[in-house]
Amino acid sequence: MADDKLAKKPLPEITPVNQPFWDGAKAGKLMMQKCQDCGTWVFCPRPVCGDCASDRLDWVQVGGKGKIFCFTVVREVVGQALRGFAPDIPYVTAWVDLDDGPRFCSNVIGCPIEKVHIDMPVEVVFEDSGDGVTLPKFKPC
Amino acid sequence: MSIRGKTAVVGIGETPTDRLGSKPDEARKSTAEYLAWAARLAMEDAGLTKKDFDGQGLAAIYTTNHSQPFWPEEVAAILGITPGVSLAGGNGGASSVSLLGHAAAAISAGLCDLVLVIAAASPFGERGGHRGAPADTRDYEMPFGVMGPNCKISFVMSRYMHESGMTEEHFGKIAVTGRYHASLNPNAYLRKPITIEDYKKSRLISDPIRLLDCVLPANGGKAYIMASAERAKDLRKKPAYLLGWGECNNASYGPRYRANPLITGITQAGKRAFDMSGVAHKDIRCLNLYDDYIPIVMIQIEDLGFSGRNDKAFFEKTDFTFKGDLPIQTSGGMINCGQPSTTGGMLHVLETVRQIRGEGGDRQVPNIKFGISTGVGAVNYGKNFGCTAAAILGSEA
Repeated sequence: MADDKLAKKPLPEITPVNQPFWDGAKAGKLMMQKCQDCGTWVFCPRPVCGDCASDRLDWVQVGGKGKIFCFTVVREVVGQALRGFAPDIPYVTAWVDLDDGPRFCSNVIGCPIEKVHIDMPVEVVFEDSGDGVTLPKFKPC
Repeated sequence: MSIRGKTAVVGIGETPTDRLGSKPDEARKSTAEYLAWAARLAMEDAGLTKKDFDGQGLAAIYTTNHSQPFWPEEVAAILGITPGVSLAGGNGGASSVSLLGHAAAAISAGLCDLVLVIAAASPFGERGGHRGAPADTRDYEMPFGVMGPNCKISFVMSRYMHESGMTEEHFGKIAVTGRYHASLNPNAYLRKPITIEDYKKSRLISDPIRLLDCVLPANGGKAYIMASAERAKDLRKKPAYLLGWGECNNASYGPRYRANPLITGITQAGKRAFDMSGVAHKDIRCLNLYDDYIPIVMIQIEDLGFSGRNDKAFFEKTDFTFKGDLPIQTSGGMINCGQPSTTGGMLHVLETVRQIRGEGGDRQVPNIKFGISTGVGAVNYGKNFGCTAAAILGSEA
């Protein structure tokens, strides 16, 4: 569908709470929040720790290596907002458990779909969306 | 103070569902028409009229295409009711079961003695208002092409298969059972029986989710009426008493940043409902479980304690049909009856009421005194459901 080729992909809304994450991605760093009081990871970005309610959250750079916890192969577009993904189908989205960080939902790229499997080691790569936002994605390592 | 046995469902209303054009003669109807229709059916069922609801409770459920902040007031205006207590269902698919408890609390506290709980949606029939997404979804799922619940539950199912070893045979059996019940339910939309082979051959939507794992979006309206146990005695139909109820929201099993997605809040909501009711598992003869996807039905059976975790043998040996060991999805579920947005979850309350009344027709569970209904809504980032609720209904207070 020609329409879908022109359709834009949705982008995150950069807010005061999540801005360090997206600034980091643009600079090639995977930044995550960590609670200074109880030491837990906090993701998605929050104003306070979901465990101990502390507002002393640090942004720290994580290594960007991890393992696939689970994944799906997307084969159909659902909803107008996402039709910009139609030309990419089929593609893989996965939950990646970072070795030194939280679980992160992203795409697995640079790998044939049929080779993707649970527990597969992956590492972050940064992909410029062309619209001012850099998306952290993952490739096999 | 417990709400156990203090209230009952005394009226139910369910419009036919349609998909506007999938079958001949499906007329275009608006959400407002479905609301009015469902309300009238529920009131007729209870032997009540619109006048009976002035000064009483009205609980309206927000739907995905009607999420404007004054929705309960708009519903009151559509129905021409002047409620004395206005409740709202904001828990997505969990709302219909959540509101059983909220309505019972309002009635038990003496705020009112009737509550009309209602939802309708016409996603094929009208565009509706604003449709928003939670910030986590907007910022960290949609930019990566996560296609809503299809993808999110695919993540869960992918991991469930990995950890439990469940295969297409196990999922297919649940799908076949649901469709079998739908074939016996005149209100169901998809009524042609299927086989496990049909399930296996249905197309992949978002691996490992197949078409026959997925709920069926539809138009329609549903409503139920709750009354105090005292008022219930004088009404037209046999009351279905609310004996146990529990809700659990934003549950996390394990650290919030890396939770186990194979356990849902239904574990806690269900335990509260069982504790309140005092009913034993073996006496629950009908499980009407929220079924946006087949694997979610199975995980809830585990969550509620009807089976152990990852117990393949249990799913292989159990007869889940209405005349079997553990009847589930006796209506055919939303997968076969249709899901008019968050209205869909009402089905599971209505079906338990029908079974307890003995109105199950060709799919009536024999000798049933107690049934359980669940609702779930929202799939949280990297986890499973956000909103969950469970309710046990019974034929005696």
